Amino acid sequence: MEHSLFLKPRDLFMDVVNPKDYVQIDSVSHMYQSLKTSVQKPLKMILLYGRPGTGKSMLLHKLHHDLSKHQKVCMIDIPIIDEDDFLRVLAHKIYSYASREALTLTRFLELSTAVNYPVIPIVLLDEAQLYSPSLMEKIRLISDARALKFVIALHKTDNEDILAKEHFQTRIWESIELQNASHEELKIYIQKKLLKANCFDVASMINDKNIKLINKLTRGNYRDSNKLMFSLFSLYVWYEENNPRKIKYNALATKFIEMAAIHTGLIHA
Amino acid sequence: MLDISKLERRWLKYKIKKILPYTLLITTVTILGFTIPFVLSNRHSSKAMIPLKKDAIKVKAPNTENDEGAMVLEPSMHFIESMDTPSTPITNTPTSSTKPAPTPKHSIAPIASLPTPTPAIAQTQATKAPQPIVKGKLTSIKRDDTAFDIHEIEDRFKDTSNPNLGVYIAKYHYDHGNYSEAYNYALKTNSINNSIDDSWLIFAKALVKLGKEEQAKKTLQLYISNSNSQAAKNYLDTLDKGGSK
Repeated sequence: MEHSLFLKPRDLFMDVVNPKDYVQIDSVSHMYQSLKTSVQKPLKMILLYGRPGTGKSMLLHKLHHDLSKHQKVCMIDIPIIDEDDFLRVLAHKIYSYASREALTLTRFLELSTAVNYPVIPIVLLDEAQLYSPSLMEKIRLISDARALKFVIALHKTDNEDILAKEHFQTRIWESIELQNASHEELKIYIQKKLLKANCFDVASMINDKNIKLINKLTRGNYRDSNKLMFSLFSLYVWYEENNPRKIKYNALATKFIEMAAIHTGLIHA
Repeated sequence: MLDISKLERRWLKYKIKKILPYTLLITTVTILGFTIPFVLSNRHSSKAMIPLKKDAIKVKAPNTENDEGAMVLEPSMHFIESMDTPSTPITNTPTSSTKPAPTPKHSIAPIASLPTPTPAIAQTQATKAPQPIVKGKLTSIKRDDTAFDIHEIEDRFKDTSNPNLGVYIAKYHYDHGNYSEAYNYALKTNSINNSIDDSWLIFAKALVKLGKEEQAKKTLQLYISNSNSQAAKNYLDTLDKGGSK
């Protein structure tokens, strides 16, 4: 099992957001560059939205990874629902202010004026759709005071028009929408990820038919694609060890892709 | 941890579910593809039969219209008339295929009189002869459907194997000089029922007409030994005396 051809590819697709695993795809790369440019502008809030699995979290982590070398950047990937906790965590992470007591908005703004950064610190909020309207209002007030700059990533749903919400209507902001991967983008994503890790043999096994099926099953969702590929290579690892005759090395087997989709819940069987 | 056997079972179930609608669709289309042309062809054939009947009916109408107004076409019923005549051998004719008539032995004509044309046959010939059309008088033309009738009776005999029909057909052919046909039908009738005097007599007479008199005698002797038929004895005597050829 240690020498399995599919062990390394399996670990590559583990569902973990790591900026080092960021894969350059033209469309995503373009989004990232526009996000980086927007961050440099005197904007108070930047909105990053899209359907689940479009790479919002990855972009935020990548941005955090790249910007933190030059300026103060705070990444909150797990939403802090409690308003007092939210301000306390921000005060601690940005101003290194530790307090066990609840922190008021006024006190937080006093702290921001007391600690003077040459460049306004950036706060990256992932899964922002989980924040309450009152907390969003506080975030708006903080950004209005130019104490902090916020990059907010949230899910776009069919039932809800995020941009129509009151706290996003009056602010000076920029919005970037991320799209699901197309067939070609998914192909590049998977191939590049494998080639980056020198998994040439496995990369050569993936053909257009395989990609088409994977894209159909995951609907271009990067997270689902990662899960599917992880399950798929887990299956290959098992078969390579227990029943290697069933493996054909010229292409990924449709049967195994479908089995992986059943295992990950993409196919209800 | 992956449970591969369970996953394979779920995959198989999924595949069957996925393929099943297509399989059903293809099967249905295939069945329909075979059934519809069959049904349509059946309809066509049943429709085609109706016009044939209509045509058959129409045949009579144009004949009456195209001919002169004085001409009247009537179907030939002479064979039924001849059946009604007790003095002729044709009276033995069955009238129904479903209800076979009993063989009336008492109505059989003497063998000696068979070769001579019966009054019924003479009447038939008279109807066949063209009648001169007299101006100012109604001329009735009788259509001769005898040939059609005998074929119909032959068909009925084939279907029902009624010996009475067989005797009638054999007699008919004998009367019309078709001795080989008469022989055949008498033979068939004898094989169905070997106790009908008329059938054996026609059989023997046909053999005589076909030049096999000795065979006819042997057949009659054989039949007489089994049935003690007086008619057969009479005819055998006639043959022995060198008459009735």
